[in-house]
Amino acid sequence: MNENENKFENVRRLLKLKRHEVPPPGYFNNFSGQVISRLRAAEASRHQSLTEHLPVQASWLVNLLHLFEAKPGMIGAFATSLCLLLVVGVVVAERSDAPPKDLIASAKSAPLAGNPLFSGVTPEVAQAESGGIAVSTNPVISLQPMTTFFGQPNQNPLLVQQASFAR
Amino acid sequence: MIMSEPVPIIDSNTPAGMLEADLVRKARRGDLNAYDELVKRYQQRIYATIYHMTSNHEDANDLAQESFIKAFQALNSFKGGSTFYTWLYRIAVNKTINFLKQRKKRQHMSLNDIDFNAEHDPDLVALISDKTPFRNAGLSELQKFLNEALLKLSEPHRMVVVLHDVQGQSHEEIAEIMGCNIGTVRSRLFYARQQLQGYLSEYAKPA
Repeated sequence: MNENENKFENVRRLLKLKRHEVPPPGYFNNFSGQVISRLRAAEASRHQSLTEHLPVQASWLVNLLHLFEAKPGMIGAFATSLCLLLVVGVVVAERSDAPPKDLIASAKSAPLAGNPLFSGVTPEVAQAESGGIAVSTNPVISLQPMTTFFGQPNQNPLLVQQASFAR
Repeated sequence: MIMSEPVPIIDSNTPAGMLEADLVRKARRGDLNAYDELVKRYQQRIYATIYHMTSNHEDANDLAQESFIKAFQALNSFKGGSTFYTWLYRIAVNKTINFLKQRKKRQHMSLNDIDFNAEHDPDLVALISDKTPFRNAGLSELQKFLNEALLKLSEPHRMVVVLHDVQGQSHEEIAEIMGCNIGTVRSRLFYARQQLQGYLSEYAKPA
């Protein structure tokens, strides 16, 4: 390394001249002040642009605020309507949570039997109705003869035949 | 009776008496007085590095100010893994290198004056003495040659030379500032000096 240092000794001596290059007198007296001024200006312009852009981006909000300024009574009306909306929302939400009463009553009086689709209720389903646990593999619709929508018994019960393509 | 030297009173409550870490913490909260003190502490070194890289006072002035502004705006990203000084240097170096890459085609010098002490520097006196080719060239001419030669180097090579041979930074500090390893710094320094010796062959013959 020392060899390299010696080899380039004259270059290093020449480069020492750079250390003697100095900016104009008094240059550094104002330097930090200029930096701080630019920072303050940047901060101020950022605030300004924010206030300038707000009316453009949210003009409806600005109009609303102007309306409140012009008519203070509007603030009360607006608040009241907001509260009402909130109350209505809560009530509707509570109602929608509870199951309809007529549905519960009909389910208790004639469980599935009145429904033509569920005429042939299997023992498993009946067990589930009476407090047992229904298993997903339990058949819900049986293939027993059932009545048609016109009240007559179905004359052609559903028959299952094995399809064969053999000749 | 021996009178001791008067010790300057440093008030740790004023920005000038505060530790760097305290100033950084305050500046991070938006305290511009604290940041003003940080700028004052490092303005000369940051300006000088940029000036020696650009050989242009006006560009150095703009870039130094912008570096300090960018550092303030990015203070929240300063995690304290290095010193504030190194971190600030890194910002200035990157900014300068980016600027120089864009400026490539319009390099023009605006050199600062040489201070009075240069005429009394023994090394420089030797260079302009009768024994050297600089006998007819004044310091101003030497300054011009030197800056032209520096501008011929690539930005990373120039940066290493400036930081080490002009600013007096150690290899380790340069490696941290430039984000490379010490071996790279050494090899760049060797190559840059070799190139400079070639450009200034008439004036800087090997010893």
